[in-house]
Amino acid sequence: MEQKEQELAEIRKKLKGFIVTGLSLEGVKPEEIKDDTVLFGEGLGLDSLDAVEIVVLLQRNWGVDVKDMNDGRKAFYSIDTLANYIYDHLKK
Amino acid sequence: MASKDTVIAAHKIEVKHRGNTLGFWLFRQQLKFFGLRGAYFMLAIVAIHYLVFDKDARRRTMSYVRRRFPNAGFFGNMKAVYRLFLNQGQHLIDHFASITGAVSFDLRMENTDIIYKVGAAAEGCVLLTSHVGNWQIAMPCFAHISKKVYLVMRPEDNRAVAESMAVDRVNSQIRLISPEGDFGGAIEIVKVLGEGAVVSMMGDRRYNFDSVRVPSFLGAPASFPYGAFHIAAACKVPVVVFLSAKTGPQQYTVSVSRMIYPVYKEGKPKKDQIAEWVGEYASVLEEFVNKYPYQCFIFHDVWKE
Repeated sequence: MEQKEQELAEIRKKLKGFIVTGLSLEGVKPEEIKDDTVLFGEGLGLDSLDAVEIVVLLQRNWGVDVKDMNDGRKAFYSIDTLANYIYDHLKK
Repeated sequence: MASKDTVIAAHKIEVKHRGNTLGFWLFRQQLKFFGLRGAYFMLAIVAIHYLVFDKDARRRTMSYVRRRFPNAGFFGNMKAVYRLFLNQGQHLIDHFASITGAVSFDLRMENTDIIYKVGAAAEGCVLLTSHVGNWQIAMPCFAHISKKVYLVMRPEDNRAVAESMAVDRVNSQIRLISPEGDFGGAIEIVKVLGEGAVVSMMGDRRYNFDSVRVPSFLGAPASFPYGAFHIAAACKVPVVVFLSAKTGPQQYTVSVSRMIYPVYKEGKPKKDQIAEWVGEYASVLEEFVNKYPYQCFIFHDVWKE
């Protein structure tokens, strides 16, 4: 359980870094983003084009393909849900 | 706070359709019994009806006409609007005649080497077209490249295209991606591009993406959506611009004139770089409308802020 938490924390940290640099978010530092920050709309204010970059980012950095948007829709909600999505796929 | 299910909800697109079942039936009968000329003759009368009574269609067309023919005056503008209505109708009739097999059209392709290059490459590509000329009649040109081709469109908007190209049927090389899907279909587009497929999009249609201003299109700054370039840059695939024009009574020329490789460079805002690529596409479009002024069917004001 503790190991899972550690791995998730590591994924969340990387994810925040990739999102800030990959999406060129101005005025946002990775460490300032909370785990439950909503990605789209309110929260980080990402849009559909940022979603494209996140999909590519997941593919390149973790080898995770978003194939089923029923799962993906929930996964793209926040940093936390996205990190869990990545973790689950890595453990499959 | 937004719920998990509504944050990235699919986007519904409203499209106004003109014409009715009886009208389409009449055109089909004209075509059947009197051929293209018969259908064109009826169209000439219908186009007058739209010119006189369809204020909305006239207004939408005028934004282009004013830019393309700035010194035409009132009667010159009305003549241009009429010719645009007429040409658009003729293109639809030609497409219908083509898919029913009533008339065969000569499809000429320029720069075929680019198409062969796209077909032979392992990577995917975005095929970018526009509401100019007759993209529907040109699509079969891409049906025989050895890749899956995905059209980003709603099947209900172009049933004839879907039918004629056996879209989405078992073993069909051509499939649809709905722009009403999650993130405007972007997720699915990324997925199929990663598999090496070709994705055809409309460069002047917003889908669910934002627009960027280009410095000049027909003499003034204009807005075009940048989704196609952003997706291509994220997936590291090229954008191929293709436009088709009617160049004879039964002849169309399909021109694949530009291949753009959108790659972000560091130290420059992404949006500025996207604007440059979109500007390149707009310049190809401008060349086209200068050459074929009455085959531009972009009926929304791209110059408006």
